[in-house]
Amino acid sequence: MIPRFSYSRPRSLGDAFHAHAATDGEGAYVVGGTELLQVMKMGLAQFRTLIDLKGIAELHGIEVLADGTLRIGACTTHRQIERSPIVAASLPGLAELELHLANVRVRNQGTIGGNLAFAEPHSDPATFLLACDARVELASPAGRRTVAIDEFVLGPLYTSREPEEILTAVLVPPAGKGGGRGYAKAKFFERPAVAVGVALTVVDRVVVSARVSLGSITEVPMLVPAAAAGLVGAAADPASLAAAARIAAASAFADLDAVDDLNGAADYKRHLAGVLIQQAALAALTEATPHA
Amino acid sequence: MHEIIEVGLTVNGRPHELRIEPRETLGEVLRDRLALTGLKVSCDSQVCGACTVLVDGLAVSACTYLAVDADGRSVRTVEGLAVDGRLTPLQQAFIDHAAFQCAFCTSGMLMTATALLEENPAPTREEVVTGLEGNLCRCTGYAPIVDAVLAAAAATAEATA
Ligand SMILES: Cc1cc2nc3c(=O)[nH]c(=O)nc-3n(C[C@@H](O)[C@@H](O)[C@H](O)COP(=O)(O)OP(=O)(O)OC[C@H]3O[C@@H](n4cnc5c(N)ncnc54)[C@H](O)[C@@H]3O)c2cc1C
Ligand code: FES
Ligand code: FES
Repeated sequence: MIPRFSYSRPRSLGDAFHAHAATDGEGAYVVGGTELLQVMKMGLAQFRTLIDLKGIAELHGIEVLADGTLRIGACTTHRQIERSPIVAASLPGLAELELHLANVRVRNQGTIGGNLAFAEPHSDPATFLLACDARVELASPAGRRTVAIDEFVLGPLYTSREPEEILTAVLVPPAGKGGGRGYAKAKFFERPAVAVGVALTVVDRVVVSARVSLGSITEVPMLVPAAAAGLVGAAADPASLAAAARIAAASAFADLDAVDDLNGAADYKRHLAGVLIQQAALAALTEATPHA
Repeated sequence: MHEIIEVGLTVNGRPHELRIEPRETLGEVLRDRLALTGLKVSCDSQVCGACTVLVDGLAVSACTYLAVDADGRSVRTVEGLAVDGRLTPLQQAFIDHAAFQCAFCTSGMLMTATALLEENPAPTREEVVTGLEGNLCRCTGYAPIVDAVLAAAAATAEATA
């Protein structure tokens, strides 16, 4: 059985902050509970009060803002993202990622906000959204702020969120003209063993800028500028780009401090990263040059 | 005194008013309070799918879903599939294809596949395999289960043609 707690179901952010303040630091927010209930069951964390954020309307919904930014409410479930026509049109790599995340039950229950706030090192969205240069929006009684993903996810199960702060939305900038974002992962258990995100921009059939992120392989998702630099200048055709990605990975990933665990030995994971960067780059290229 | 919450939920079409503790899972409430023991709690960690039930048509892990979150919602369990002893085409297909041996996974498989077919009445084999990925079976090797789901889709299409 899960240890006892009381349950609060606020309908507004203001009520949620109140409920949080009333717990004297012994409360936690909960949405899908797919992470939180599990750690409580295992006795790894205890809270006197859980504050359910699902009933707060403004934390739901997916929209594209006037400047093309994709805004996903924190309480949007993985399944809603997977099946959203808006996401399919503006960030197809995310819809594809969601289809292959966890299992259908976790996708129906778990949310994008809960995923990022928990900062599990094997998060699929954190890795991909890092390549996409996404930000999270946080609200507290003091006001709102937005934070880049790499300044939000700071370590395993550790973020820059203050205890009372509520993650309200994820903001993904548009790819822009000639831009594309791709993601590839290898998994042997529930969560990815190694994951790579690539964002790139093509001008006149040449890659002019790139971002490469790595996840699951180290304790926190990270950008690898050396690998990204290796993609810049590559001709925007699949064979040239894959070759550039392979060469970039060989040097950029060589000294990577990969975690040795049940998902595989460090060497093997570095090898996988070198394969996956090619797949992610090709997926990004498909979005960047849809008519090629 | 610990907190008690009053919840109202519909289970297999029947309304229930219950006084529960917030910590009670839907699996505990369905099995221990409503005696619906078709769902099995096995891994207790959202991995195996033996506890799958539908909440407002969506498959969830009853082992790790708070019963209070089902307040005002409609829950379906394996007990609610057959009507007056008449099996659904999916249940019949599981028998015809020998899609179970020990049957510990079966109620979860049936519920996941029921939701899948309601959403996508004519799935490809690959869509069925992906959809059932989170339901584990130690006995059948999965092929007969996938065959049964596809056969149920075909039988339903034929019946409504
Ligand atoms: C079997 C299994 C397989 C999984 N596989 C994968 C996988 O392949 N890839 C992957 O990326 N993930 C995977 N997950 C992780 C999955 O649980 C998360 O992706 C899920 O989305 C978490 O969301 P939640 O709403 O359930 O979070 P909860 O459990 O409700 O919350 C998680 C944490 O975040 C906090 N929190 C939640 N929402 C907010 C908010 N809006 N503001 C502030 N704090 C908040 C909570 O206080 C808590 O500390 C898996 C989980 C399981 C159980
Ligand atoms: S018992 Fe719930 S998923 Fe295994
Ligand atoms: S029939 Fe035995 S676990 Fe599936």
